[in-house]
Amino acid sequence: MQKLIWILWPSFVMAGIAEAVFFTLVDPQELYLFGEPVHMTPLATYSIGFFAFWALCAASSAFSCFLQRSAGAPRV
Amino acid sequence: MVQPAPRPESAGAKVIPIKETSLYEAQRKIYARSVSGTFANWRWAMVWITQAIFYGLCWLPWNGRQAVLFDLVERKFYIFGLVFWPQDVFYLAVLLIISALALFLFTAVAGRLFCGYACPQTVYTEIFMWVEKLFEGDRAARMKLDAAPLTGNKLARKGAKHAVWIVIGLWTGFTFVGYFTPIKTLAGSVLSWQLGPWETFWICFYGFATWGNAGFMREQVCKYMCPYARFQGVMFDPDTLIVTYDAERGEPRGARAKKADHKAAGKGDCVDCGICVQVCPTGIDIRNGLQYECIGCSACIDACDQVMDKMAYPRGLIRYSTEHALAERWGRGQILAHILRPRTLVYGAILSAIVAAAAAGLALRQPLKVDVIRDRTTLAREVEGGLVENVYRLQIMNLAEAPRRFALAVTGLPGVRIASEQIVEVAPAATQAVAVRVRVEPDAGKRGSNPIHFEVRAINHDEVFVREKASFLLP
Ligand code: SF4
Ligand code: SF4
Repeated sequence: MQKLIWILWPSFVMAGIAEAVFFTLVDPQELYLFGEPVHMTPLATYSIGFFAFWALCAASSAFSCFLQRSAGAPRV
Repeated sequence: MVQPAPRPESAGAKVIPIKETSLYEAQRKIYARSVSGTFANWRWAMVWITQAIFYGLCWLPWNGRQAVLFDLVERKFYIFGLVFWPQDVFYLAVLLIISALALFLFTAVAGRLFCGYACPQTVYTEIFMWVEKLFEGDRAARMKLDAAPLTGNKLARKGAKHAVWIVIGLWTGFTFVGYFTPIKTLAGSVLSWQLGPWETFWICFYGFATWGNAGFMREQVCKYMCPYARFQGVMFDPDTLIVTYDAERGEPRGARAKKADHKAAGKGDCVDCGICVQVCPTGIDIRNGLQYECIGCSACIDACDQVMDKMAYPRGLIRYSTEHALAERWGRGQILAHILRPRTLVYGAILSAIVAAAAAGLALRQPLKVDVIRDRTTLAREVEGGLVENVYRLQIMNLAEAPRRFALAVTGLPGVRIASEQIVEVAPAATQAVAVRVRVEPDAGKRGSNPIHFEVRAINHDEVFVREKASFLLP
Protein backbone atom coordinates (compact mmCIF):
# COMPACT_ATOMS: atom_id res chain seq x y z
CA MET A 1 0.00 0.00 0.00
CA GLN A 2 2.74 2.37 1.04
CA LYS A 3 4.84 1.62 -2.04
CA LEU A 4 1.75 2.00 -4.20
CA ILE A 5 1.12 5.49 -2.87
CA TRP A 6 4.79 6.37 -3.32
CA ILE A 7 4.53 5.34 -6.93
CA LEU A 8 1.09 6.60 -7.87
CA TRP A 9 0.86 9.87 -5.99
CA PRO A 10 3.99 11.78 -7.12
CA SER A 11 3.43 10.53 -10.65
CA PHE A 12 -0.14 11.83 -10.50
CA VAL A 13 1.14 15.30 -9.60
CA MET A 14 3.83 15.22 -12.27
CA ALA A 15 1.35 13.94 -14.86
CA GLY A 16 -0.88 16.89 -14.06
CA ILE A 17 1.97 19.32 -14.65
CA ALA A 18 3.11 17.54 -17.81
CA GLU A 19 -0.45 17.52 -19.12
CA ALA A 20 -0.86 21.25 -18.51
CA VAL A 21 2.43 22.15 -20.16
CA PHE A 22 2.02 19.79 -23.10
CA PHE A 23 -1.51 20.77 -24.01
CA THR A 24 -0.83 24.46 -23.55
CA LEU A 25 1.68 24.14 -26.33
CA VAL A 26 -0.10 21.55 -28.45
CA ASP A 27 -3.65 21.70 -29.71
CA PRO A 28 -5.15 18.20 -29.43
CA GLN A 29 -6.78 18.69 -32.78
CA GLU A 30 -3.46 19.22 -34.48
CA LEU A 31 -1.92 16.07 -33.06
CA TYR A 32 -0.65 13.32 -35.30
CA LEU A 33 -0.39 9.73 -34.15
CA PHE A 34 1.58 7.36 -36.38
CA GLY A 35 1.28 9.89 -39.19
CA GLU A 36 -2.50 10.03 -38.90
CA PRO A 37 -4.36 13.00 -37.48
CA VAL A 38 -5.99 12.13 -34.17
CA HIS A 39 -9.72 11.75 -34.65
CA MET A 40 -10.85 11.71 -31.05
CA THR A 41 -12.85 14.35 -29.23
CA PRO A 42 -10.57 16.82 -27.47
CA LEU A 43 -11.77 15.59 -24.09
CA ALA A 44 -10.78 12.03 -24.96
CA THR A 45 -7.38 13.21 -26.16
CA TYR A 46 -6.80 15.18 -22.98
CA SER A 47 -7.87 12.27 -20.81
CA ILE A 48 -5.85 9.64 -22.63
CA GLY A 49 -2.91 12.01 -22.67
CA PHE A 50 -3.20 12.41 -18.93
CA PHE A 51 -3.21 8.68 -18.33
CA ALA A 52 -0.28 8.20 -20.66
CA PHE A 53 1.69 10.79 -18.69
CA TRP A 54 0.60 9.21 -15.43
CA ALA A 55 1.67 5.76 -16.57
CA LEU A 56 5.02 7.08 -17.72
CA CYS A 57 5.69 8.97 -14.49
CA ALA A 58 4.50 6.00 -12.44
CA ALA A 59 6.98 3.81 -14.30
CA SER A 60 9.73 6.24 -13.35
CA SER A 61 8.63 6.25 -9.71
CA ALA A 62 8.47 2.48 -9.68
CA PHE A 63 11.96 2.32 -11.11
CA SER A 64 13.24 4.62 -8.36
CA CYS A 65 11.54 2.48 -5.72
CA PHE A 66 13.07 -0.62 -7.21
CA LEU A 67 16.58 0.83 -7.30
CA GLN A 68 16.28 2.02 -3.75
CA ARG A 69 15.23 -1.38 -2.57
CA SER A 70 17.91 -3.36 -4.35
CA ALA A 71 20.63 -1.01 -3.15
CA GLY A 72 19.47 -0.69 0.43
CA ALA A 73 18.34 -4.24 1.17
CA PRO A 74 20.74 -6.27 3.28
CA ARG A 75 22.32 -9.02 1.25
CA VAL A 76 22.29 -12.41 2.80
CA MET B 1 13.55 -2.68 7.96
CA VAL B 2 17.01 -1.47 7.23
CA GLN B 3 19.39 -1.82 10.15
CA PRO B 4 21.55 1.23 10.66
CA ALA B 5 25.17 0.29 10.31
CA PRO B 6 26.98 0.36 13.66
CA ARG B 7 28.91 3.57 13.96
CA PRO B 8 32.29 3.89 15.58
CA GLU B 9 31.78 5.66 18.85
CA SER B 10 33.75 8.77 19.42
CA ALA B 11 34.82 9.40 22.97
CA GLY B 12 32.10 10.87 25.08
CA ALA B 13 29.49 10.82 22.34
CA LYS B 14 26.20 9.38 23.41
CA VAL B 15 24.83 6.68 21.21
CA ILE B 16 21.44 7.79 20.09
CA PRO B 17 19.42 4.84 18.92
CA ILE B 18 18.07 5.61 15.49
CA LYS B 19 14.47 4.62 15.33
CA GLU B 20 12.99 4.52 11.89
CA THR B 21 9.27 4.50 11.71
CA SER B 22 7.88 3.62 8.36
CA LEU B 23 5.27 5.79 6.79
CA TYR B 24 1.80 4.48 6.17
CA GLU B 25 2.19 2.00 8.92
CA ALA B 26 -1.00 0.48 10.21
CA GLN B 27 -2.87 3.54 11.33
CA ARG B 28 -4.73 3.92 14.51
CA LYS B 29 -8.05 5.35 13.40
CA ILE B 30 -8.53 8.87 14.67
CA TYR B 31 -11.87 9.75 16.17
CA ALA B 32 -11.70 13.48 16.35
CA ARG B 33 -14.09 14.93 18.87
CA SER B 34 -16.10 17.84 17.59
CA VAL B 35 -15.37 21.22 19.04
CA SER B 36 -16.96 24.64 19.19
CA GLY B 37 -15.52 28.05 19.85
CA THR B 38 -14.08 31.10 18.18
CA PHE B 39 -11.72 29.27 15.88
CA ALA B 40 -14.26 26.60 15.03
CA ASN B 41 -16.54 29.43 13.93
CA TRP B 42 -13.79 30.83 11.76
CA ARG B 43 -13.19 27.41 10.27
CA TRP B 44 -16.86 27.01 9.46
CA ALA B 45 -17.00 30.50 8.00
CA MET B 46 -14.14 29.53 5.71
CA VAL B 47 -15.91 26.30 4.76
CA TRP B 48 -18.96 28.33 3.75
CA ILE B 49 -16.99 30.96 1.88
CA THR B 50 -14.73 28.61 -0.06
CA GLN B 51 -17.54 26.23 -0.92
CA ALA B 52 -19.98 28.98 -1.86
CA ILE B 53 -17.31 30.13 -4.30
CA PHE B 54 -16.46 26.66 -5.57
CA TYR B 55 -20.01 25.34 -5.97
CA GLY B 56 -21.52 28.67 -6.99
CA LEU B 57 -19.07 30.44 -9.25
CA CYS B 58 -19.46 27.99 -12.11
CA TRP B 59 -23.16 28.93 -12.37
CA LEU B 60 -22.54 32.66 -12.59
CA PRO B 61 -23.25 34.11 -16.04
CA TRP B 62 -21.15 36.85 -17.59
CA ASN B 63 -21.47 38.39 -21.06
CA GLY B 64 -23.88 35.61 -21.96
CA ARG B 65 -21.43 32.84 -21.01
CA GLN B 66 -20.11 31.18 -17.89
CA ALA B 67 -18.13 33.72 -15.86
CA VAL B 68 -15.30 31.35 -14.97
CA LEU B 69 -14.72 28.59 -17.46
CA PHE B 70 -11.56 26.83 -18.49
CA ASP B 71 -12.90 25.68 -21.80
CA LEU B 72 -10.64 22.82 -22.83
CA VAL B 73 -12.42 22.07 -26.08
CA GLU B 74 -12.27 25.66 -27.32
CA ARG B 75 -8.89 26.13 -25.67
CA LYS B 76 -9.89 29.37 -24.05
CA PHE B 77 -9.96 30.36 -20.40
CA TYR B 78 -12.64 32.80 -19.34
CA ILE B 79 -12.27 34.61 -16.06
CA PHE B 80 -14.98 37.23 -15.80
CA GLY B 81 -14.16 39.90 -18.39
CA LEU B 82 -10.85 38.34 -19.38
CA VAL B 83 -10.28 35.74 -22.05
CA PHE B 84 -7.00 33.86 -22.01
CA TRP B 85 -5.66 31.94 -24.98
CA PRO B 86 -2.93 29.32 -25.01
CA GLN B 87 -0.62 32.16 -26.09
CA ASP B 88 -1.22 33.77 -22.70
CA VAL B 89 0.45 30.93 -20.83
CA PHE B 90 2.82 33.56 -19.48
CA TYR B 91 0.06 34.85 -17.22
CA LEU B 92 -0.52 31.35 -15.90
CA ALA B 93 3.13 31.12 -14.97
CA VAL B 94 2.92 34.51 -13.25
CA LEU B 95 -0.18 33.36 -11.38
CA LEU B 96 1.69 30.31 -10.11
CA ILE B 97 4.59 32.47 -8.94
CA ILE B 98 2.18 34.81 -7.17
CA SER B 99 0.45 31.90 -5.43
CA ALA B 100 3.74 30.41 -4.30
CA LEU B 101 4.98 33.74 -2.95
CA ALA B 102 1.68 34.39 -1.19
CA LEU B 103 1.96 30.98 0.43
CA PHE B 104 5.51 31.79 1.58
CA LEU B 105 4.37 35.09 3.01
CA PHE B 106 1.35 33.68 4.84
CA THR B 107 3.38 30.79 6.16
CA ALA B 108 6.10 33.06 7.48
CA VAL B 109 3.53 35.26 9.21
CA ALA B 110 1.04 32.77 10.56
CA GLY B 111 2.17 29.23 9.87
CA ARG B 112 -0.18 26.81 8.23
CA LEU B 113 -3.16 29.16 7.97
CA PHE B 114 -3.95 27.74 4.57
CA CYS B 115 -3.94 24.17 5.86
CA GLY B 116 -6.18 24.86 8.81
CA TYR B 117 -8.77 27.01 7.12
CA ALA B 118 -8.77 26.90 3.34
CA CYS B 119 -7.15 23.72 2.05
CA PRO B 120 -9.74 21.59 0.25
CA GLN B 121 -8.47 18.60 2.18
CA THR B 122 -9.34 20.28 5.49
CA VAL B 123 -12.57 21.78 4.23
CA TYR B 124 -13.99 18.55 2.84
CA THR B 125 -12.83 16.62 5.88
CA GLU B 126 -14.68 19.16 8.01
CA ILE B 127 -17.84 18.70 5.94
CA PHE B 128 -17.55 14.91 5.93
CA MET B 129 -16.95 14.81 9.68
CA TRP B 130 -20.05 16.89 10.20
CA VAL B 131 -22.07 14.34 8.22
CA GLU B 132 -20.43 11.57 10.18
CA LYS B 133 -21.42 13.19 13.45
CA LEU B 134 -24.96 13.59 12.16
CA PHE B 135 -25.39 9.86 11.62
CA GLU B 136 -22.98 8.28 14.05
CA GLY B 137 -22.73 10.78 16.86
CA ASP B 138 -19.62 12.29 18.40
CA ARG B 139 -16.32 10.64 19.26
CA ALA B 140 -17.46 8.31 22.04
CA ALA B 141 -20.57 7.17 20.18
CA ARG B 142 -18.55 6.53 17.04
CA MET B 143 -15.97 4.48 18.87
CA LYS B 144 -18.74 2.44 20.46
CA LEU B 145 -20.48 1.97 17.13
CA ASP B 146 -17.30 0.80 15.44
CA ALA B 147 -16.62 -1.69 18.20
CA ALA B 148 -20.19 -2.96 18.21
CA PRO B 149 -21.20 -6.02 16.17
CA LEU B 150 -22.92 -5.41 12.86
CA THR B 151 -26.60 -4.81 13.44
CA GLY B 152 -29.36 -3.33 11.32
CA ASN B 153 -28.98 -0.07 13.16
CA LYS B 154 -25.23 0.09 12.54
CA LEU B 155 -25.69 -0.78 8.91
CA ALA B 156 -28.36 1.88 8.48
CA ARG B 157 -26.20 4.55 10.13
CA LYS B 158 -23.10 3.68 8.14
CA GLY B 159 -25.10 3.30 4.95
CA ALA B 160 -26.77 6.69 5.35
CA LYS B 161 -23.42 8.32 6.07
CA HIS B 162 -21.86 6.86 2.95
CA ALA B 163 -24.87 7.74 0.84
CA VAL B 164 -24.58 11.39 1.85
CA TRP B 165 -20.80 11.30 1.40
CA ILE B 166 -21.18 9.88 -2.10
CA VAL B 167 -23.76 12.49 -3.05
CA ILE B 168 -21.44 15.26 -1.84
CA GLY B 169 -18.55 13.61 -3.68
CA LEU B 170 -20.45 13.34 -6.95
CA TRP B 171 -21.72 16.89 -6.70
CA THR B 172 -18.15 18.03 -6.13
CA GLY B 173 -17.00 16.03 -9.13
CA PHE B 174 -19.78 17.45 -11.25
CA THR B 175 -18.86 20.98 -10.19
CA PHE B 176 -15.21 20.35 -10.90
CA VAL B 177 -15.90 19.11 -14.42
CA GLY B 178 -18.25 22.08 -14.80
CA TYR B 179 -15.25 24.39 -14.72
CA PHE B 180 -13.81 22.72 -17.79
CA THR B 181 -16.89 22.20 -19.92
CA PRO B 182 -19.83 24.62 -19.77
CA ILE B 183 -21.77 23.55 -16.70
CA LYS B 184 -25.25 24.25 -18.04
CA THR B 185 -24.68 21.94 -20.99
CA LEU B 186 -23.18 19.44 -18.62
CA ALA B 187 -26.21 19.64 -16.32
CA GLY B 188 -28.46 19.17 -19.34
CA SER B 189 -26.62 16.01 -20.38
CA VAL B 190 -26.72 14.66 -16.84
CA LEU B 191 -30.47 15.22 -16.61
CA SER B 192 -31.10 13.59 -19.97
CA TRP B 193 -28.68 10.71 -19.29
CA GLN B 194 -26.53 11.69 -22.23
CA LEU B 195 -23.30 12.37 -20.47
CA GLY B 196 -20.23 11.57 -22.56
CA PRO B 197 -18.01 8.72 -21.36
CA TRP B 198 -15.13 10.97 -20.35
CA GLU B 199 -17.28 13.48 -18.51
CA THR B 200 -18.84 10.58 -16.60
CA PHE B 201 -15.44 9.19 -15.87
CA TRP B 202 -14.00 12.44 -14.53
CA ILE B 203 -17.05 13.22 -12.41
CA CYS B 204 -16.79 9.78 -10.83
CA PHE B 205 -13.02 10.01 -10.52
CA TYR B 206 -13.13 13.33 -8.72
CA GLY B 207 -16.12 12.22 -6.66
CA PHE B 208 -14.28 9.08 -5.64
CA ALA B 209 -11.17 11.08 -4.72
CA THR B 210 -13.27 13.41 -2.57
CA TRP B 211 -14.97 10.50 -0.85
CA GLY B 212 -11.69 8.71 -0.23
CA ASN B 213 -9.68 11.74 0.84
CA ALA B 214 -12.27 13.38 3.09
CA GLY B 215 -13.88 10.18 4.33
CA PHE B 216 -10.93 7.86 4.90
CA MET B 217 -7.49 9.28 4.20
CA ARG B 218 -8.05 12.53 6.09
CA GLU B 219 -5.00 13.43 8.17
CA GLN B 220 -2.89 10.89 6.29
CA VAL B 221 -3.05 13.07 3.20
CA CYS B 222 -1.54 15.90 5.26
CA LYS B 223 1.00 13.67 6.92
CA TYR B 224 2.22 11.57 4.05
CA MET B 225 1.14 13.04 0.75
CA CYS B 226 1.30 16.79 1.07
CA PRO B 227 4.65 18.25 0.02
CA TYR B 228 3.85 21.56 1.68
CA ALA B 229 3.66 19.88 5.08
CA ARG B 230 7.15 18.56 4.60
CA PHE B 231 8.92 21.74 3.66
CA GLN B 232 6.97 24.08 5.91
CA GLY B 233 9.90 23.99 8.28
CA VAL B 234 12.06 26.14 6.02
CA MET B 235 9.35 28.79 5.83
CA PHE B 236 8.97 29.08 9.57
CA ASP B 237 11.11 31.27 11.76
CA PRO B 238 10.99 32.05 15.49
CA ASP B 239 8.51 34.88 14.85
CA THR B 240 6.00 32.78 12.96
CA LEU B 241 2.61 32.53 14.62
CA ILE B 242 1.89 28.92 15.46
CA VAL B 243 -0.43 27.00 17.71
CA THR B 244 1.55 26.48 20.89
CA TYR B 245 1.11 25.05 24.32
CA ASP B 246 2.49 27.24 27.07
CA ALA B 247 4.52 24.59 28.85
CA GLU B 248 5.85 27.02 31.40
CA ARG B 249 2.33 27.79 32.54
CA GLY B 250 0.89 24.31 32.08
CA GLU B 251 3.53 22.08 33.61
CA PRO B 252 3.67 20.08 35.73
CA ARG B 253 0.34 18.87 34.46
CA GLY B 254 -2.01 16.76 36.49
CA ALA B 255 -5.58 16.14 37.56
CA ARG B 256 -6.94 18.12 40.45
CA ALA B 257 -10.19 19.03 42.14
CA LYS B 258 -11.73 22.19 40.77
CA LYS B 259 -11.51 24.06 44.05
CA ALA B 260 -8.00 22.94 44.89
CA ASP B 261 -5.23 25.51 44.95
CA HIS B 262 -3.09 23.80 42.35
CA LYS B 263 -0.31 26.35 42.52
CA ALA B 264 0.20 25.55 46.19
CA ALA B 265 0.31 21.87 45.27
CA GLY B 266 3.05 22.68 42.77
CA LYS B 267 0.95 21.98 39.72
CA GLY B 268 0.66 23.94 36.50
CA ASP B 269 -2.54 24.94 34.72
CA CYS B 270 -2.90 21.85 32.53
CA VAL B 271 -5.42 19.49 34.10
CA ASP B 272 -4.27 16.70 31.81
CA CYS B 273 -7.79 16.08 30.59
CA GLY B 274 -6.53 15.07 27.14
CA ILE B 275 -9.30 16.92 25.36
CA CYS B 276 -6.80 18.80 23.19
CA VAL B 277 -5.60 15.42 21.91
CA GLN B 278 -9.13 14.13 21.37
CA VAL B 279 -10.16 17.04 19.16
CA CYS B 280 -7.01 17.01 17.07
CA PRO B 281 -7.80 15.84 13.55
CA THR B 282 -4.24 14.61 13.08
CA GLY B 283 -4.20 12.88 16.43
CA ILE B 284 -1.17 14.58 17.94
CA ASP B 285 -0.54 16.02 21.37
CA ILE B 286 0.26 19.70 20.97
CA ARG B 287 1.80 19.64 24.46
CA ASN B 288 4.78 17.87 22.92
CA GLY B 289 5.68 21.03 21.04
CA LEU B 290 5.40 21.93 17.39
CA GLN B 291 5.14 18.86 15.21
CA TYR B 292 5.06 18.71 11.47
CA GLU B 293 1.71 16.91 11.58
CA CYS B 294 0.01 19.95 13.12
CA ILE B 295 -2.13 21.58 10.44
CA GLY B 296 -2.74 24.65 12.57
CA CYS B 297 -6.48 24.14 12.72
CA SER B 298 -6.70 25.56 16.28
CA ALA B 299 -9.25 22.97 17.37
CA CYS B 300 -7.09 22.36 20.43
CA ILE B 301 -7.17 26.09 21.28
CA ASP B 302 -10.96 26.11 21.38
CA ALA B 303 -11.02 22.88 23.34
CA CYS B 304 -8.52 23.95 25.94
CA ASP B 305 -10.14 27.37 26.32
CA GLN B 306 -13.37 25.63 27.30
CA VAL B 307 -11.51 23.58 29.88
CA MET B 308 -9.85 26.72 31.23
CA ASP B 309 -13.25 28.42 31.47
CA LYS B 310 -14.60 25.48 33.43
CA MET B 311 -11.67 25.59 35.79
CA ALA B 312 -11.93 29.38 36.02
CA TYR B 313 -8.33 29.72 34.84
CA PRO B 314 -7.38 32.35 32.26
CA ARG B 315 -7.74 31.22 28.66
CA GLY B 316 -4.87 30.69 26.30
CA LEU B 317 -2.92 27.79 27.77
CA ILE B 318 -2.89 26.68 24.16
CA ARG B 319 -2.85 29.72 21.90
CA TYR B 320 -1.45 31.31 18.80
CA SER B 321 1.98 32.51 19.70
CA THR B 322 5.53 32.50 18.42
CA GLU B 323 8.66 30.78 19.58
CA HIS B 324 10.20 34.12 20.52
CA ALA B 325 7.09 35.29 22.31
CA LEU B 326 6.95 32.18 24.46
CA ALA B 327 10.60 32.39 25.36
CA GLU B 328 10.57 36.11 26.12
CA ARG B 329 7.01 36.28 27.47
CA TRP B 330 5.91 38.81 24.92
CA GLY B 331 2.41 40.19 24.86
CA ARG B 332 0.17 40.49 21.86
CA GLY B 333 1.55 43.88 20.82
CA GLN B 334 5.10 42.65 20.60
CA ILE B 335 4.05 39.59 18.62
CA LEU B 336 2.22 41.80 16.16
CA ALA B 337 5.17 44.17 15.94
CA HIS B 338 7.36 41.25 14.91
CA ILE B 339 5.19 40.44 11.95
CA LEU B 340 7.11 43.14 10.14
CA ARG B 341 10.57 41.68 9.87
CA PRO B 342 13.05 41.36 7.02
CA ARG B 343 11.72 38.05 5.77
CA THR B 344 8.09 39.13 5.52
CA LEU B 345 9.03 42.54 4.16
CA VAL B 346 11.08 40.98 1.38
CA TYR B 347 8.35 38.47 0.51
CA GLY B 348 5.78 41.26 0.64
CA ALA B 349 7.82 43.58 -1.57
CA ILE B 350 8.47 40.93 -4.22
CA LEU B 351 4.85 39.85 -4.13
CA SER B 352 3.48 43.37 -4.56
CA ALA B 353 5.92 44.10 -7.37
CA ILE B 354 4.89 41.00 -9.31
CA VAL B 355 1.18 41.58 -8.71
CA ALA B 356 1.51 45.19 -9.85
CA ALA B 357 3.47 44.19 -12.95
CA ALA B 358 0.97 41.46 -13.85
CA ALA B 359 -1.99 43.81 -13.33
CA ALA B 360 -0.36 46.46 -15.48
CA GLY B 361 0.40 43.87 -18.14
CA LEU B 362 -3.21 42.72 -18.13
CA ALA B 363 -4.55 46.26 -18.27
CA LEU B 364 -2.33 47.16 -21.19
CA ARG B 365 -2.89 43.89 -22.99
CA GLN B 366 -3.97 44.44 -26.58
CA PRO B 367 -7.24 42.61 -27.23
CA LEU B 368 -5.75 41.59 -30.56
CA LYS B 369 -3.05 39.20 -31.63
CA VAL B 370 -1.70 38.61 -35.11
CA ASP B 371 0.44 35.76 -36.38
CA VAL B 372 1.97 36.05 -39.82
CA ILE B 373 2.79 32.85 -41.66
CA ARG B 374 4.41 32.91 -45.10
CA ASP B 375 2.68 30.79 -47.70
CA ARG B 376 5.28 28.11 -48.22
CA THR B 377 4.04 26.84 -51.58
CA THR B 378 4.64 30.04 -53.52
CA LEU B 379 7.69 32.02 -52.53
CA ALA B 380 7.43 34.95 -54.88
CA ARG B 381 5.73 35.23 -58.23
CA GLU B 382 5.38 37.74 -60.97
CA VAL B 383 1.87 39.04 -61.63
CA GLU B 384 0.28 41.43 -64.13
CA GLY B 385 1.96 44.79 -64.57
CA GLY B 386 5.39 43.30 -63.80
CA LEU B 387 4.72 43.41 -60.05
CA VAL B 388 6.09 40.81 -57.60
CA GLU B 389 3.63 39.13 -55.27
CA ASN B 390 4.13 37.28 -51.98
CA VAL B 391 1.30 35.51 -50.21
CA TYR B 392 0.87 35.37 -46.42
CA ARG B 393 -1.57 33.86 -44.04
CA LEU B 394 -2.58 36.17 -41.24
CA GLN B 395 -4.10 34.65 -38.13
CA ILE B 396 -6.10 37.45 -36.56
CA MET B 397 -7.17 36.73 -33.01
CA ASN B 398 -9.84 38.99 -31.64
CA LEU B 399 -9.61 38.71 -27.87
CA ALA B 400 -12.48 41.12 -27.29
CA GLU B 401 -15.90 39.71 -26.58
CA ALA B 402 -17.50 41.75 -29.37
CA PRO B 403 -17.25 41.32 -33.13
CA ARG B 404 -14.63 43.61 -34.61
CA ARG B 405 -13.57 44.77 -38.02
CA PHE B 406 -9.88 45.18 -38.66
CA ALA B 407 -8.10 47.19 -41.33
CA LEU B 408 -4.93 45.63 -42.73
CA ALA B 409 -2.03 47.63 -44.07
CA VAL B 410 1.55 46.88 -44.98
CA THR B 411 4.68 49.07 -44.79
CA GLY B 412 8.39 48.69 -45.23
CA LEU B 413 9.01 48.86 -49.00
CA PRO B 414 8.32 51.79 -51.35
CA GLY B 415 4.97 51.34 -53.06
CA VAL B 416 4.12 48.15 -51.21
CA ARG B 417 0.40 47.41 -51.01
CA ILE B 418 -2.14 44.74 -50.31
CA ALA B 419 -3.86 43.38 -53.40
CA SER B 420 -6.47 41.34 -51.52
CA GLU B 421 -9.25 42.17 -49.07
CA GLN B 422 -8.10 44.81 -46.59
CA ILE B 423 -10.96 44.67 -44.13
CA VAL B 424 -11.42 41.57 -42.03
CA GLU B 425 -14.33 40.87 -39.75
CA VAL B 426 -13.66 38.65 -36.76
CA ALA B 427 -16.29 37.18 -34.44
CA PRO B 428 -16.09 37.75 -30.66
CA ALA B 429 -13.17 35.93 -29.02
CA ALA B 430 -12.40 34.12 -32.23
CA THR B 431 -9.61 33.61 -34.71
CA GLN B 432 -9.88 34.40 -38.39
CA ALA B 433 -7.31 33.30 -40.92
CA VAL B 434 -6.96 35.41 -44.05
CA ALA B 435 -4.79 35.00 -47.10
CA VAL B 436 -3.11 38.28 -47.89
CA ARG B 437 -1.47 39.02 -51.23
CA VAL B 438 1.20 41.70 -51.08
CA ARG B 439 2.58 43.34 -54.22
CA VAL B 440 5.49 45.58 -54.95
CA GLU B 441 7.53 46.85 -57.93
CA PRO B 442 10.39 44.42 -58.66
CA ASP B 443 13.01 47.13 -58.07
CA ALA B 444 11.55 48.34 -54.78
CA GLY B 445 14.10 46.46 -52.68
CA LYS B 446 17.17 44.28 -52.79
CA ARG B 447 17.07 40.72 -54.09
CA GLY B 448 16.18 38.17 -51.49
CA SER B 449 14.44 38.88 -48.20
CA ASN B 450 13.20 42.39 -47.33
CA PRO B 451 11.67 43.22 -43.97
CA ILE B 452 8.09 44.47 -44.07
CA HIS B 453 5.47 45.07 -41.39
CA PHE B 454 1.82 44.22 -41.28
CA GLU B 455 -0.29 46.69 -39.41
CA VAL B 456 -3.67 45.59 -38.12
CA ARG B 457 -5.95 48.18 -36.57
CA ALA B 458 -9.46 47.77 -35.21
CA ILE B 459 -11.90 50.00 -37.03
CA ASN B 460 -13.52 52.47 -34.56
CA HIS B 461 -11.01 51.38 -31.91
CA ASP B 462 -7.82 53.08 -32.99
CA GLU B 463 -5.98 52.10 -29.84
CA VAL B 464 -6.30 48.43 -30.71
CA PHE B 465 -3.34 48.10 -33.00
CA VAL B 466 -0.72 45.47 -33.68
CA ARG B 467 2.39 45.58 -35.86
CA GLU B 468 3.89 42.29 -36.93
CA LYS B 469 7.14 41.74 -38.73
CA ALA B 470 7.38 39.63 -41.90
CA SER B 471 9.74 39.28 -44.82
CA PHE B 472 9.09 39.87 -48.48
CA LEU B 473 11.05 37.88 -51.05
CA LEU B 474 12.19 39.54 -54.27
CA PRO B 475 13.56 37.32 -57.04
S1 SF4 C 1 -7.05 20.62 26.88
FE1 SF4 C 1 -5.74 22.02 28.01
S2 SF4 C 1 -5.94 21.32 30.12
FE2 SF4 C 1 -6.69 19.63 28.86
S3 SF4 C 1 -4.89 18.36 28.55
FE3 SF4 C 1 -4.96 19.77 26.83
S4 SF4 C 1 -3.64 21.49 27.48
FE4 SF4 C 1 -4.13 20.30 29.33
S1 SF4 D 1 -2.34 20.20 17.40
FE1 SF4 D 1 -4.09 21.58 17.54
S2 SF4 D 1 -3.84 23.00 15.85
FE2 SF4 D 1 -2.48 21.27 15.46
S3 SF4 D 1 -3.69 19.92 14.16
FE3 SF4 D 1 -4.00 19.23 16.28
S4 SF4 D 1 -5.84 20.35 16.95
FE4 SF4 D 1 -5.14 21.33 15.09
